[in-house]
Amino acid sequence: MAEFSAAVYQNEFLPDGGTDVNAIVTIGCTGAGTAGQGSGGDAGEIIIVDTSGSMAPETMQAAIDGAKAALDEIVDGTYFAVIAGADHAMLAYPAVSSGPGMVRMDGRTRHEAMSAVERFIGSGGTAISTWLDLAGQLFASIKDVTQRHVLLLTDGENRERPGKLDEAIRRATGYFQADCRGVGTDWQVAEVRRISEALLGSVDIIPGPSEMRAQFQQIMRTSMARGVSDGKLRIWTPQGAQILFVRQVSPTVEDLTDRRTPVNPLTGDYPTGAWSDESRDYHVAVRVAAKAIGQEQLAARVQLVVGDQVVTQGLVKATWSSDESLTTKIDQQVAHYTGQTELARAIQEGLAAKAGGDEATATVKLGRAVRLAAETGNDEATTKLRKVVDVEDADEGTVKLKRSIDKADEMALDTASTKTTRIRRDPTA
Amino acid sequence: MSTERVCPSCAAVVPDGVRFCESCGAPTGAPPTDPLPPTAPLDVTPMEDAPISAPTRRPADALPDPAEPAGRRPCAECGGEVGPDYYCTTCGTKAPSERDHFEETPASWVAGVCDRGIVHERNEDAMAVLAADRPGSRAVLLVLDGVSSSVDSDVASLAGAHAAREVLRRPLPAGMGTPESRDAAVARTFADATAAANAAIVATTDPDSPNPASATFVCAVVEGRQVHVANVGDSRAYWLPDDGGGVQLSVDDSLAPAQIAAGVPREQAESSHDAHAITKWLGRDSGDITPRVGRIEVTGPGWVLVCSDGLWNYASTPAELAVQVRAAATTEPLALASALVGFATASGGHDNITAAVARLAVPEADEGVQHHG
Repeated sequence: MAEFSAAVYQNEFLPDGGTDVNAIVTIGCTGAGTAGQGSGGDAGEIIIVDTSGSMAPETMQAAIDGAKAALDEIVDGTYFAVIAGADHAMLAYPAVSSGPGMVRMDGRTRHEAMSAVERFIGSGGTAISTWLDLAGQLFASIKDVTQRHVLLLTDGENRERPGKLDEAIRRATGYFQADCRGVGTDWQVAEVRRISEALLGSVDIIPGPSEMRAQFQQIMRTSMARGVSDGKLRIWTPQGAQILFVRQVSPTVEDLTDRRTPVNPLTGDYPTGAWSDESRDYHVAVRVAAKAIGQEQLAARVQLVVGDQVVTQGLVKATWSSDESLTTKIDQQVAHYTGQTELARAIQEGLAAKAGGDEATATVKLGRAVRLAAETGNDEATTKLRKVVDVEDADEGTVKLKRSIDKADEMALDTASTKTTRIRRDPTA
Repeated sequence: MSTERVCPSCAAVVPDGVRFCESCGAPTGAPPTDPLPPTAPLDVTPMEDAPISAPTRRPADALPDPAEPAGRRPCAECGGEVGPDYYCTTCGTKAPSERDHFEETPASWVAGVCDRGIVHERNEDAMAVLAADRPGSRAVLLVLDGVSSSVDSDVASLAGAHAAREVLRRPLPAGMGTPESRDAAVARTFADATAAANAAIVATTDPDSPNPASATFVCAVVEGRQVHVANVGDSRAYWLPDDGGGVQLSVDDSLAPAQIAAGVPREQAESSHDAHAITKWLGRDSGDITPRVGRIEVTGPGWVLVCSDGLWNYASTPAELAVQVRAAATTEPLALASALVGFATASGGHDNITAAVARLAVPEADEGVQHHG
């Protein structure tokens, strides 16, 4: 049985007239078990492999290997299907044309699916909206499947009329989760990130075919470890309060502010997807009406809800004080994640400016990113930034854009921009 | 201190008989620490079968406990429902726990308010108030001020107040041959009360605590025209007659009175930084716990006020307090106690604030002791 815990990190003391309350709420889960093995219903996995004509034979072979490795990770009894994606989505396995479009994993179906995958050859274009829509239809064909996950691999830019993909993303949002991977450098990070963000998954680049197998394996292993389906972050705020933002800030930055589903006038739910044994941090910022010195109030009640059960909660408080030694402190966790969120934004904006030919803005933004990465101890970001810019002074954030950049390094910096680091926590805090 | 119980609100372990959780301040649901139910002593009085003399104290004279407050009050800010974690479910305002703010109104003429104030995080003041129904007959006003520097002063002070309340529940000794002998017997009863309070404070202190709980003690017992007071430390009792000329009935055990006695102006003595350094207190590390005792016979209408320094810091002299009493313009004791606490809060609320008052309207003949003859 999964167990959840919550911890709140904040400085609850506000100065006279202060209104904005910031808190980091850490939610931990242990004993999650295996996807589909709990009481909450079956799990379903769909592997989507790009089989467009742009897939070079070597890449295609690596994708086939990767898909087979992923099939090996799917736990017996789990519903699954494999889609070949090009101009249209084709159901590669199971080979059915009507009725239930997914089958349970066992020795036979695994073998059949692998054989089907081995027959993949690249031809045609890339219409990702059709891939997502077929995945949605397949999930819908098995009513017992309540935890739905897609592994999506693409190698190229979507070739559909503008808006078509967004409509498909909208249809899939809240229905299934998707981890997306791009292989090579001909795909658009921003485009694929739109899919993974909306579908509560990850995005990353697989720079070369050799890494395909390990990536697919890891994604599927992680997905199968998510024994708790569909958690929701439920936030109550007092009457008259305004939620400034709700963000997941660890392990990655994901803005959830606009994804609120009202529960009642004071309470709303934010999607968190499925949970494995893991810990996530959320940054909640609430604006409340200022109260008199000495008054205390609850600024937010942050709960995790699974099914209809509240499994854990943390209280975000506000206390007005005239003691400046209390009110001027910024909580370490809040400061750290504020920096990490800015870092993600600086990297993305810097790379967008660079792509748009605005080198001056790119230099300033990426310079700021270098400084923030150093300040917040994000070594991965620092390493990746140094492949794109020459750092003159990390503390000042003065950099020069490198003249020749490996496109894959730039894309890796982009996909990794939302990954955050944690800081050590004082156990007494 | 036998079986272990846990707080229904936060699940912290609470010692037997403790009514408010040390950890979160929520009521524990324990019965009052009341070893003697008000009407029970009749059955156990050893004198009951004595053929010659009737018991000198009739158990019927034992004052009953004030009624428990009914349910949790709605949110003071918005009137919304207050949730089990003390936050208003509508506006989020933290409702004071019962320990942080409580009121007692044992009779129409007696009431008290005990409040956390603004600056302190806990309410370490404690109060216990008893009164007979008939105005001006008999009342007990007890205030203990827990010393902030110790860990569990809030629990200890309340336990002390309740223990002393049991000693003073029944009338003071009477029927002595001379006023002097009666005064001595009353002083002994007060000493019993402080001893009981002291024992309760020590009992609620962690034996290993390097910083044991301690508290001041002040008590006024109204018996008709007679107002008896006893104190240890610097919590105070006043008589504030309607026509002016109020007096402080207690004498602080602190450095300030010594300085005043030596000729330092009162204002200066009481505002010096060590004015609040008390020289006597209750608790494990106390020395002498014998209270100073005093008595006054009142002759006109007015108020008996018993309070902690959270109030008198803002109005030390009887004249200053009389200004606040007049400003409150009420003869309702709860309204006056609330107004005095409100005055201290508005003045800064730097300490916990307790004010217990008894309205003596038309002092009656000294009949409160007549039946002890």
